[in-house]
Amino acid sequence: MIERQIAIGHRMGLHARAAAKLVQLTRRYKSEIVLLRNDGGNSREADARSILAILLLAAGHGATVAVRANGSDEDEAVDCICEYLKG
Amino acid sequence: MSFSERILHGITVSSGAAIGHAVRAFDPLFISLNLRISSDEVAGEVARFRASVEKSSGQLRRMQAQLKRRNAEESSFLIDAHLLILQDRLFVDRIIAKIESDRINAEWAIQQVTDDLCEAYDRLEDDYLRERRGDLDDIVRRLLHNLQSKHMPQIGKLPYDAIIVGRSIPASALFELRSRHIAGLVTETGSSLSHTAIMARSMEIPTVMGVADLPEISSGALLVVDAAEGIVIVSPSEETLARYGKIATQAKISRRLAAEAASRPCATEDGVKISLGANINFIEEVHAAVECHSEFVGLYRTEFDFFREGGRNDEKSLTTDYSNVLKAAKSMPVTFRTIDVGADRNAWDTVNPSLATRGLRFCLENQDLFKAQLGALFRASVKGNVRILLPFVSSIGDLDAALTIITNVKKDLLRRKEAYAPDVPIGVMIETPAAAQTCDLMASRVDFLCLGTNDLIQYYLVIDRSDQSSAHLYSPFHPAILRCLHQVHKLLEPAGKPITVCGEMAADPASAAMLLGMGFTSLSVSLGAYPRMRQILSTMNLGRLRELACEILKMQNPADIESMVRSSIGLQPIHHS
Repeated sequence: MIERQIAIGHRMGLHARAAAKLVQLTRRYKSEIVLLRNDGGNSREADARSILAILLLAAGHGATVAVRANGSDEDEAVDCICEYLKG
Repeated sequence: MSFSERILHGITVSSGAAIGHAVRAFDPLFISLNLRISSDEVAGEVARFRASVEKSSGQLRRMQAQLKRRNAEESSFLIDAHLLILQDRLFVDRIIAKIESDRINAEWAIQQVTDDLCEAYDRLEDDYLRERRGDLDDIVRRLLHNLQSKHMPQIGKLPYDAIIVGRSIPASALFELRSRHIAGLVTETGSSLSHTAIMARSMEIPTVMGVADLPEISSGALLVVDAAEGIVIVSPSEETLARYGKIATQAKISRRLAAEAASRPCATEDGVKISLGANINFIEEVHAAVECHSEFVGLYRTEFDFFREGGRNDEKSLTTDYSNVLKAAKSMPVTFRTIDVGADRNAWDTVNPSLATRGLRFCLENQDLFKAQLGALFRASVKGNVRILLPFVSSIGDLDAALTIITNVKKDLLRRKEAYAPDVPIGVMIETPAAAQTCDLMASRVDFLCLGTNDLIQYYLVIDRSDQSSAHLYSPFHPAILRCLHQVHKLLEPAGKPITVCGEMAADPASAAMLLGMGFTSLSVSLGAYPRMRQILSTMNLGRLRELACEILKMQNPADIESMVRSSIGLQPIHHS
């Protein structure tokens, strides 16, 4: 299992378009992938395959999220997703 | 869960009271009912839900392909989001889990999961993201539609005492439920003059509209609907139930008394004959009209048959429909109002539907439809006593155009060697200020007139009858209305053409008394009100009402006028809230 922090680079944050793209990217990998967001001491977790969960993270521009992957292709998955989230 | 009794307030749109169990109707456009299912139905229900997801995905993919061909990448991206929601475990799996664990139908499970998600969205501080719940609403609408369009087996399972509860129930949806027994109806939107209310009254369903606290009522909850008081009682106490049980028994007795009065001729206390007709909406009601000894059908609203799901609107099919209506009516004259595509039906398309293409304007713009309906009415006229009524006329020009079309339809039938009665009376609906002001000119062109007071009052007083913020200003006792009625009667007197009042005014004892006093002696009311009105008319004294009419024409305040009319016919004064 690996985990990496990244700041959301998309101007509008993880809105519908970015969230949809993220879900589509995630589906290429076999690993289990979750996004974690620590929002003022309030830690929230979202299944990266669930567009509704990602939207509910409400991660705006500049917000920091942790990408955590667990599985045979976890390294590529985290690389690819962080690359995308950078914007 | 709380078991103490709670009272929710709404507005009165019908009479009667009902005790029953709530069945929530979730979506206003595609009425869907929340119901419990048995354990052996769970697998079938899950399959039904999955099929709806599949069908919805297929529709979205086709839509996306079309958008891509048109290079509308931006909108195609939004569809991606919709498709992803349909694959989202947070949504789909939770709905299936709900169906399985709570043993509820797919519609209800969708509603519960959507409500939870929407609540989460509403808590977000990001305005943009909060708006994303719109995508969810959109998907849900599609799913519900696809669940329903196959077939609706779950409706067959409505409990015998179902009280339908929903944000807004379109008249057409209520109509779809007409063959089921519905004990009551509770909605958030609508007013006593909306088409849904008219339909509810004619189906004699105790109804309360304008209830703001609908989320308080969940499917299966025991409710008392007191339509006369405009209240809904949630979790009623034993005491309340006993009280309303007694009221229901009392209502049955007074209905029987009214039915007995129905066999005597309809006349006032001082022996003046009053023609009392029935307003009906669909063929099933014709039998009921015959049973309550109605003298004629003053208004047959053809649009409900016309827009019946799966119905065919070619001349031949309509001829069969109308012939069946006439057969059921025996020899009773039936006034068929040609299609009035009203405010309710246009509501989602136009900014101000009340003023959009309605009634005759719609017919003149859709002449093929209009001609098919006219052709069918003439062909059916050999089977009974047909009268044709043109709705929502606002200019002599429109009326003349319609009359020309009627002449041409007759010529065409002659050419096709189709038989029709030569003297079918043609009438015009007086329901716009323009028609009221020119009713003498219109009368010279037609055989009879019909006064539609609902729309007339609405347009005279500039009130939207479906809008809560102005609905309370609606009053048949406004001096402007009194003067209008008085003037219409005076303008029509020389021509001697018969006029029937068929709006809600005719079915309310106080405003009906006022109409009689002004000289209107032909009324047509909904079936629910028919026996009662017949009985009430027999207690009225026309001589006294004539004097009363002279008095109130001099008065200025609607509330004073109403009190005076009510007290003069022995009714309790009404308290305006």
